[in-house]
Amino acid sequence: MRTDNEAAPPPPPAADPAANAVELVGVSKNFGAVAAVHTVTLAIRQGEVLTLLGPSGCGKTTLLNIIAGFEEPTRGRIQIDGRDVTLTPPHLRDTGMVFQNYALFPHMNVFENVAFGLSMRRMPKARIAIEVSRALEMVKLEGLGGRRVRQLSGGQQQRVALARAIVIQPKVLLLDEPLSALDKNLRGQMQIELKELHDRTGLTTVFVTHDQGEALSLSDRIVVLNRGEIQQIAAPLELYRRPANGFVASFIGDINHLPPAECHRYGSDILFRLTPAIELAMPARADLALRDDQKAHIFVRPEHLRIADETGEGRNRVLCQVVTHVYQGTHTLTRVEAVGLGLLQLRIPGGEIIERTPPGSRIVVTINLDEATVLAEA
Amino acid sequence: MSAVGAGAPRRRPFFLPFLLISLIAAGLFLAALGDVLHYSVRLFIPGSIEVGGFTLANFARLLRPIYRTVLLATLIISFLTAIFTLLLGYPVAYALVRVRRGWVRSLLIVLAITPLFTGEIVRTYAWILVLGTNGFINSILKALGIIGAPLSMLYTSFGVILALVQFSMPVMIMLLATAISHVDRSCERAAANLGASPLMVFWRVTLPLTTPGVVSGTVVIFAWTMSAFSTPQLIGGGKVLMLSNLVYLEGLTNLDFPLAAALSLLALVVAIGSLGLMRPAITRLERKATLY
Repeated sequence: MRTDNEAAPPPPPAADPAANAVELVGVSKNFGAVAAVHTVTLAIRQGEVLTLLGPSGCGKTTLLNIIAGFEEPTRGRIQIDGRDVTLTPPHLRDTGMVFQNYALFPHMNVFENVAFGLSMRRMPKARIAIEVSRALEMVKLEGLGGRRVRQLSGGQQQRVALARAIVIQPKVLLLDEPLSALDKNLRGQMQIELKELHDRTGLTTVFVTHDQGEALSLSDRIVVLNRGEIQQIAAPLELYRRPANGFVASFIGDINHLPPAECHRYGSDILFRLTPAIELAMPARADLALRDDQKAHIFVRPEHLRIADETGEGRNRVLCQVVTHVYQGTHTLTRVEAVGLGLLQLRIPGGEIIERTPPGSRIVVTINLDEATVLAEA
Repeated sequence: MSAVGAGAPRRRPFFLPFLLISLIAAGLFLAALGDVLHYSVRLFIPGSIEVGGFTLANFARLLRPIYRTVLLATLIISFLTAIFTLLLGYPVAYALVRVRRGWVRSLLIVLAITPLFTGEIVRTYAWILVLGTNGFINSILKALGIIGAPLSMLYTSFGVILALVQFSMPVMIMLLATAISHVDRSCERAAANLGASPLMVFWRVTLPLTTPGVVSGTVVIFAWTMSAFSTPQLIGGGKVLMLSNLVYLEGLTNLDFPLAAALSLLALVVAIGSLGLMRPAITRLERKATLY
């Protein structure tokens, strides 16, 4: 006698594509008296590449180890795929990690390294062979399964480590500064390949780096960390254009930090008085609530400083003296000094500037504040 | 050993004195060995410490069943000692390397290494007190009512192996600890990350990566035990004979120097042979498990 209506099990919860792959709630980690991570709350979305970016000692690797289960948080909890794993040991977490030194098993060949995670999952041998060769093909190492790990170049070892981590189809892929051991050319190439690999696998990825260039080019979102605390979570473009504080502003890309200025409204403009002689104007913005006479810090990117043409009137003109030029191929970084403002950096396309204005020459620089970051002093 | 760089461009100020010292040491050793070699091919004259002319009869005498039995017993005791030392030493060495608390580590080091600094005789007598008919173990077991009659442990191979294992532990622990400390922890983390339980991490990563240490530890203890003398002499009490005891018996009791010399050479060949086999064994395993 079946009573379908009553006995029907509840439908399995539908996989919510927008659900978070990993969630950290109020996670702290102390090493003795030192707080390596301080109350971090973070949701990592399904399928995104999220970068933990910060200087060394900012807690980014500790955070990664907490997700992988190698470190137990002092406070807070972690969810992976909706399941609380705070107390789950690493081998039951289904994360795939690429270590900074790759940590390949030296006593196994390439195939055995990549197959390790699958054999731990008791996958039948025949299927392991198929999965491994597919993973090796994905990282462009097809046919190298029989090689000893020692016979591989750094770049190849990196690929084996990647293949070993993705072949188990982890709930989240954890990359701990995976490119830092490679030389510069190879690093650029691997960045592109990492991006392609992510497009093919769609794996949720947490990427740890101290290299802001890597972070900007690889991430969907970047978490900037300093001293164990989150400074800002934003998409690369927003992070570059709208840093939330002085730390983020100076950490992401080059930026000129002008001396604190007093601000006044003047029609539709805001005027900043940096020194008695220098006043800069900026069109008022909705996102900026500044009171008159309030002190503010202004951050301007080097590309927003220009050399004024001799005849031009223009706003925000400052007389400067050229200090040095650093030629960088596509552009030149020019350092100038302005009385009262200190050193300023300009990014000027090409290299003609070097011959036109040798160090010591006087030039007029315009400072465009349209995209500047202005942080009011509390 | 390979410091004999022919035509080395740089002068090595300490090279010559070191070479001299090692040459003197090697010379003394070879002289003693030459003497043993010399005695082994001379005729035994019963009742005299003088020896006769050249003969190979001493080596033929080694083939007698009694000597074969002792050689076999020595090999078995040495093998078992090496294996048990390995089994007991590995956990200690592992803990020694991996324990985080400083004082626990210091305690382990002290416990592991102190036996080296108590003399062999003192230690062996301590074992006699522990293993004897009215010794420590038997008294406790009797007091607890677990046994009625005392167990015989003294004068047995069991007692000899037990004492030899304890004697060998410090060396084994040091060899294993070195190997274990060379294991890259991130490899173990990687294995755990890929789904290996702690036991699997040990079995598939830590143990394979320490096999060179395991092999060298086992072979060194095996070869070392081959020459054990005072432990089987005192604890075996004449009932457990190893090669060294036989050498002593033949040489100093029967004054049969030629036979004693032949027996010594036999022990030497076995010990050197097993050490010689160690190199290829490790190389073979290293091709699988690379430490360095």
